[in-house]
Amino acid sequence: MSLLESLRFTRGDTAIHNMDPRVKFLLTMVFFSASVMFLELVPLIVVFIVQVPLVASAKVTREWLKSLKGASFIAAIIFVTNMASFYYFRGGVLTYGILEYSLALTLRFIVLVTSFSIFFLTTSPDKLSLALEKARIPFEFNFAFITAIRFVPVLAEEAQTIIDAQRSRGLELDKGSFIARVRNYIPILLPLIINSIRRSLELAEAMESRAFGATEKRTNLYELKMTGFDYGTLAAAMLSILLLVFLKLYFPVFPKLLGEGVIL
Amino acid sequence: MTIIETRDLTYSYPHASKPALKDVNLDIEPGEFILLTGPSGCGKTTFCRTLNGLIPKFYSGEMSGTVRVSGLDTREHPTMMLARHVGLIFQNPDNQIFALTVEKDIAFGLENLGTPKDEMLREINWAADSTGIEPLMSRATHELSGGQKQRLTIASILAMHPEIIVMDEPTAFLDPVGAEHIFMVLDRLNKEFGMTIILIEHRMDLASKYVNRIIVFNNGSVVSDGEPSEVLSRDSIRLLGVGTPRVLELSRRLESHGFGFDGLPISAEALYEALKPRLSSRGTKHPVDMGALDDYTGEFHHHPAIQVKGVDYTYPGNVKALSSVGLTINHGEFVAIMGENGAGKTTLVKHFNGLLRPGKGSVLIDNVDTSTTSVARLSRSVGLVFQNPDDQLFEETVEKEVSFALRNFGFKESVVDSRVKWALNLLDLNEYKDSSPFTLSGGERKRVALASVLAWDPDILVLDEPTVGQDYGQKERLRHFLMQLRIQGKTVVVVTHDVEFVAESKPKIVLMARGKIIGEGPAKEIMTCPKKLSECSVAQPEITKLFAMLSKHGLPEDVLDVDEAYDILVRDLKEAGR
Repeated sequence: MSLLESLRFTRGDTAIHNMDPRVKFLLTMVFFSASVMFLELVPLIVVFIVQVPLVASAKVTREWLKSLKGASFIAAIIFVTNMASFYYFRGGVLTYGILEYSLALTLRFIVLVTSFSIFFLTTSPDKLSLALEKARIPFEFNFAFITAIRFVPVLAEEAQTIIDAQRSRGLELDKGSFIARVRNYIPILLPLIINSIRRSLELAEAMESRAFGATEKRTNLYELKMTGFDYGTLAAAMLSILLLVFLKLYFPVFPKLLGEGVIL
Repeated sequence: MTIIETRDLTYSYPHASKPALKDVNLDIEPGEFILLTGPSGCGKTTFCRTLNGLIPKFYSGEMSGTVRVSGLDTREHPTMMLARHVGLIFQNPDNQIFALTVEKDIAFGLENLGTPKDEMLREINWAADSTGIEPLMSRATHELSGGQKQRLTIASILAMHPEIIVMDEPTAFLDPVGAEHIFMVLDRLNKEFGMTIILIEHRMDLASKYVNRIIVFNNGSVVSDGEPSEVLSRDSIRLLGVGTPRVLELSRRLESHGFGFDGLPISAEALYEALKPRLSSRGTKHPVDMGALDDYTGEFHHHPAIQVKGVDYTYPGNVKALSSVGLTINHGEFVAIMGENGAGKTTLVKHFNGLLRPGKGSVLIDNVDTSTTSVARLSRSVGLVFQNPDDQLFEETVEKEVSFALRNFGFKESVVDSRVKWALNLLDLNEYKDSSPFTLSGGERKRVALASVLAWDPDILVLDEPTVGQDYGQKERLRHFLMQLRIQGKTVVVVTHDVEFVAESKPKIVLMARGKIIGEGPAKEIMTCPKKLSECSVAQPEITKLFAMLSKHGLPEDVLDVDEAYDILVRDLKEAGR
């Protein structure tokens, strides 16, 4: 949960924040493909080294570290299971090669998390919806998406209030057998569901009152406009993809950092 | 030209046995500022929904008669088109904010209408400027306070340039200063831009001085319509349970005692101006020493019921809600916790039954530390009633709802039965015992929630905002009920914004601002300290405002309610007449 929590948009006014969301998405995809294409430690380190200054320049280092913290448990599992399975299936020998391979897999995961962190931490849902609109997604879906995001904190708060209210009436959630515990949640879920239905009716009324659907030619306060910086980034992203493909095809072997010696 | 015209308007909701509106004939002129009022369920909200066609289109049901708004028949034009002429604003701001930033939310209506971008920017700036939320333009909507959210909803409607703005209890969730702000914004729109404004409001004391016409509904029909002080001083209206503004009530009583006014004053300022030339110059002392009376309840025994010692509390995400709060509430005391939205009042009372455990410091209930006791155990002696009954009602019948807690606490079936009967009787709910709580009205649901806590007869009763959304009659009943509990020796703690409610029940007041307690004392002492009050966005009661002005003429300033004010004024005016 904390992993998702730490991917929430953080307001800011940096070049990364202001980048066109489509270009930023392409950039994320470049990082994504780089980490999927290579299984060696060296290229992954290079990708990681490119990412860190991006995080720093977007001023989201703290949030990014939080997301890494959230991801560290899974990263540890990846590392340990790799080491262990190689150890058992390759005849009880542990080499530096295996260590390097496990490290690479772990780093790949971290690079993936980082690339998505950069995207989601710096792209406001408003801009995201704008990008979706440009991709010809009907406005109704787009609106549903924004509304969902808008109501996450509201619903979370409401759920907490309901839990508090029922506990004040003597409800003990973690009391009794498994079945009893499941049943304990009825007094929480029912008000939550009923409130949501009531809320959706109120929302619909308010939408009507704000002329929702009045015209086919809806306008938008924000517009996506590619700046010179965006075009530059776009070109750089394209070049990187070419470079990646070139490396993959013509440069198949990367030097090993740790050699092939036996550890155990 | 009439801007709103209804003819023989009758409407019934689907499956309803009797009409919600009956033969409503109203003419409203451009530029009027109208207050709609009447007891709960009288049809005022329904009436508002007919103005932009939500009724009958959104709600279906049976409608006869006509509604014409800006010359358009609401039946012939869809709601989204009428939105250009009538802007409807609802009670809960959270359910009408659609965007993630303030600026974008103001734009929402304009975007829907297909307004070009440069025009849109102009309208947004104008709307934000007129409602005073310009500095918040780039803020995220979920970070706004309740008052800011409500101002945003006004701005968002305003941006579409409607001729009429209709608001359904916009200040229900706001602290008094936040509420006053909203009325000032509306007043400005009315005076500066000539907008027609229709307002539903239970806060008569604040609202009535801004409006120039009051329309009273009862049982779906208009029962009274006219100039505010004239309508509200009619006996028939007072009997309906529509609250009379306190100052008007005082003027009316003075008049019936033989003091003639040139039109009954409705605001503290107006009454002061009328009284000033007639006061005695010597001043009048209090008939009794009220200070001694006020300490009266806690006086016999000093057993602390709730002790809060140096409590800090921080919500996840580093939101500091309480810092070094210290408070002792004795058995039998009646305490009101007041303060601005977000001051930490609810956070504090959630510590009383262990829902929240102090980050630092300790909370003792009857000398038992809450951090080592379960919520269920503490709740046996501390009954906490939440603000919104809909956050807890879930059973099929009212009877089951009231017995829920009793079963959780493991009472014997025979005891459960007798307690449920007792609680239903106490709150006058017997006739509904087999109905579903969801079919009841807001006020009734609130009573069910209260009954479901009273049922186990806790020693300490904590009520969070019990008067929100209640009409005058319901508030009066609640006040009497709390008095009864006090007589039984219960400790009662109320979290409230309602200064008039506090002025009339005179509890001990605890003032909170920014997570701290900034003042504590008898109602009379706290209410006459405008500096402290304004620090936590609580306004003085209107009567106290009047006496603050009168105190320059030698009258006491610590007068909170109409009865006392009347006594003192009659004495003084007689003295002067002699």
